[in-house]
Amino acid sequence: MKILIADDDRMSRRLLQTTLEREGYEVNAVSNGRSALQELSLPDGPRLALLDWMMPELDGPRVCQGVRKQHGRPYVHIVLVTSRESKEDVVAGLEAGADDYLTKPWDPAELIARLRVGQRILQLEDRLVEARETMRFKATHDHLTFLLNRGAIVELLERELVRTLREKRCTIVMLSDLDHFKSVNDLYGHLVGDEVLRETARRLLGSARSYDFVGRYGGEEFLLVLNNCDASQALLRAEEIRKVVAGLPIETMRGPLSVTMSVGVLSSSDWPLHNTEEMLCEADAALYRAKASGRNCSQLARPNVSCQAPLASLK
Amino acid sequence: MTEQHDRFLQIGVNLPELLSRVENDYNLLGELIGIFKEEFPRLLQLLRESITREDMKNVEVSSHALKGMLSALSVTRAAAIASRLEQMGRDGKTEGLTDVLILIEREVANSMPELDTYIAEMKR
Repeated sequence: MKILIADDDRMSRRLLQTTLEREGYEVNAVSNGRSALQELSLPDGPRLALLDWMMPELDGPRVCQGVRKQHGRPYVHIVLVTSRESKEDVVAGLEAGADDYLTKPWDPAELIARLRVGQRILQLEDRLVEARETMRFKATHDHLTFLLNRGAIVELLERELVRTLREKRCTIVMLSDLDHFKSVNDLYGHLVGDEVLRETARRLLGSARSYDFVGRYGGEEFLLVLNNCDASQALLRAEEIRKVVAGLPIETMRGPLSVTMSVGVLSSSDWPLHNTEEMLCEADAALYRAKASGRNCSQLARPNVSCQAPLASLK
Repeated sequence: MTEQHDRFLQIGVNLPELLSRVENDYNLLGELIGIFKEEFPRLLQLLRESITREDMKNVEVSSHALKGMLSALSVTRAAAIASRLEQMGRDGKTEGLTDVLILIEREVANSMPELDTYIAEMKR
């Protein structure tokens, strides 16, 4: 594990370095507080630090304060090492953001034991961060396809539409629905249905650009948000993506299965006064027109065609 | 061994503590003493100048550094005197500073040759 030593005393640095290297630490030794703060600010900088209290340029407590001001970086466990031993000093050091305190001259066994405590705290923090990220992923992603779930994709769409309006650009909204998906489940079973949904998700992701968003909007419905697009290319782009999904049969446990998809597509620049909900309503209406015109095609939402109540039987 | 430790105690060096700190690594101990010998004259000079100028902040800072080095080598008696000097600097007490500094020099002059001899013996 990487560890930073910051001490202006050459003897202390040498002694600490040798002791810690013997214990298997990867030691980075600096002689002043400013260099210490720089090292601890690096993205892959050390997460354990032994800081001397009195140092040129920046003292140990001020380095602690600097480190604690940084956000978005993994936690750094800081031990202040000093010969200042009054209660007031201990309190001041800990209040500045240090996690622990060691008095010079230190005992090697105590030093190592305290660093092990620090490592245990860091491991605990890592596990908490990992758990939080897993929860965050689960809260925003669909468990079957691993695409963004409905809440997350609609939230992203809202954000993109605000940005698009501000930057006077165009976002393409694609609401797509697998044709006759119910019969896939009825004829081949839900496990095959799940395979079809997963492969469709994979194909949609593969046909989108890295900065586009793809989400599962409902059972067999998918929502794509394509940023910075040319409005005149909306229908063409929707057709390209639709053909990628329908192009090859999907390999399932019951053999290859051909699926098709209908798409309702909308260019945000055609609907500048509409909010997210209204645009989704218009894309949905276009999707139903695609279904009504024989499925396996795309329909563009045009302002002169009003948003009508969806016909559930068509899906 | 105890006899040797007692001898070091008499000259103000806590040998068991020092050996524990360097984990009985005599090469490392020799290296640390080498660093001390390079740094000590510089710090001493800084202290003398600060005392002459009655620059008490520098007296405090330099004696603090000296105390750290002496403590690391477990030269405990000299470290305690350096601590006294540091406190005098902090309190702004100018009287007797030179005498205390002379005491430190004397302590270091007593202990260093003993440590040198000891390391040379142990390395043999």
